[in-house]
Amino acid sequence: MNAEILEVKDLSVSFGGVRAVDQVSFSLQPGELIGLIGPNGAGKTTVFNMITNSIKPTSGEIRFNGKSILGKTPDKICRLGISRTFQNIRLFPQMTAYENVELGLHNTPRYSILEAFVRTPRASRIEKETRKRALELLEMVNLKEYARERASNLPYGLQRRLEMARAMATSPQLLLLDEPAAGMNEDECRDLVKLIRQIHTSMHYTIIMIEHHMNVVMDLCRGSRIYVLNLGSLLAVGSPSEIQNNQQVIKAYLGERKNARADTRS
Amino acid sequence: MGYINAIIILAGINIVAGLGVSILTGYTGLFSIGHAGFMALGAYMWAIMLTNFHLPFGLALLVGGLFAGLCSFIVGYPAFRSRLRGDYFAIATLGFSEAIRLVLNNTYEVVGGAFGFMGLPSITSVPVVVLSVVLALFFAHMFVTSQFGKNCIAISQDEVAAEMMGVNLLRTKLTALFISAFYAGVAGGLLGGYMAYLSPSFFTYTRSSDLLAAVVFGGIQSLIGPVITAFVLVAVPELLRVFSEWRLIIYGLLFVIVMVFRPQGLLGYVEMNFHFLRGWWNKLRRRKPAAAVDGGGI
Repeated sequence: MNAEILEVKDLSVSFGGVRAVDQVSFSLQPGELIGLIGPNGAGKTTVFNMITNSIKPTSGEIRFNGKSILGKTPDKICRLGISRTFQNIRLFPQMTAYENVELGLHNTPRYSILEAFVRTPRASRIEKETRKRALELLEMVNLKEYARERASNLPYGLQRRLEMARAMATSPQLLLLDEPAAGMNEDECRDLVKLIRQIHTSMHYTIIMIEHHMNVVMDLCRGSRIYVLNLGSLLAVGSPSEIQNNQQVIKAYLGERKNARADTRS
Repeated sequence: MGYINAIIILAGINIVAGLGVSILTGYTGLFSIGHAGFMALGAYMWAIMLTNFHLPFGLALLVGGLFAGLCSFIVGYPAFRSRLRGDYFAIATLGFSEAIRLVLNNTYEVVGGAFGFMGLPSITSVPVVVLSVVLALFFAHMFVTSQFGKNCIAISQDEVAAEMMGVNLLRTKLTALFISAFYAGVAGGLLGGYMAYLSPSFFTYTRSSDLLAAVVFGGIQSLIGPVITAFVLVAVPELLRVFSEWRLIIYGLLFVIVMVFRPQGLLGYVEMNFHFLRGWWNKLRRRKPAAAVDGGGI
């Protein structure tokens, strides 16, 4: 039972003299969905970047399925089963929505280069299977009608959903969602919550989610935990209601309670 | 007639090499100004295979191409390993090709040094060139529409995202470079077979920049664009010999105009690239989901 899918231990990184992430530890069981919140600049995205090794940690340990993934290249980590979305969307702008998703499926081509040149029946069959799977994934995030639309032409909210589909295409075990609801209005947030919950239950992914929309986090992490980062270190862990009533968290977000009250009154 | 044939042959050779550059620069986003070096490697290997090992013409071409492809790893592996990109990679390829030219220029054993590699048969004819172009175009199309090609396109659009999505950058780039150098090597062999001798002076920086120009004018992520411009860039200067000293000035001007008004090239991006085939394909594909939706409605 206690086989953690991800175990982060004493993770730290410094940029020059700034300690961006300081001794952060947490762990996840398979199938969990946890939230990672904190004020701007708390180091949340940096934690993601270290898990996917686009930033090298100064010290600490990251274990995925019991094995250390420190020092592995990002593409290797992705193929091991950790996939992510980006805070500032990074789709392939000139490729269609469909091609974006497809890429995640064939990051390692499934046939040999010689088969590519002559397009053997096997290669065509694999192409067909890939196509089918890509369209299924697009359907899952309700983007099927935009399949042939260029990614850069999609509206912002749809681009975020497309990124999720692309991340799912790499068939991950662990999905890192970096602010999936950024820039969305209330309605869109509700749809997103539904979508993430559906992905979580139907695909059995383990999910870590960075999010600023409190409604979204509190809703999705019900029955699970939220980690709060502040100034690079872990400030609090707990269920949504515990976090909402945690004095330290409120202080980190709003400043001293007295001031906050004064603000709301005036 | 001989003159027209000459233009067709030279243009065809330029097209084959241009397709190679297109795969690397247009599709993978790696600028090369050293493809003349790969042409030289392929050409000289072809000549050695033909004269010293008496291989048949076609086989010698393939060996020349493979040799150029393998040699591309010499520059490719360290460059991609250390993540050279953009201008830096271009300069690495330039240095590589100049080094090859200088080595050939000063090696008098076997390859004839600055005198050139003499005594080659003149066997590149119009049908041979046309066949080569058709095959080159076909295989290039197969490559860029395969999963390998699509990974290359992803790298050209956002390298970081591609890596995060599990694309092995080093391997994918080396594959593209290998195929690109293979094309250049075959083109070099064809050139030798037309000229009936080889000289290091065929493979100067100017040739590399002509090839790059064909791709930049023709359009990135397009095969048909570079094919057309590779042809035009050989044919037009030949037909307008009178203005030959103005050629580079006109090139420069065209470069500026294209860069300002159409940075993706004249036929840039997929829409012009086998558009009609894509259109049919999409129509076929569109029919299926539409039918499914109709069925669901009922």
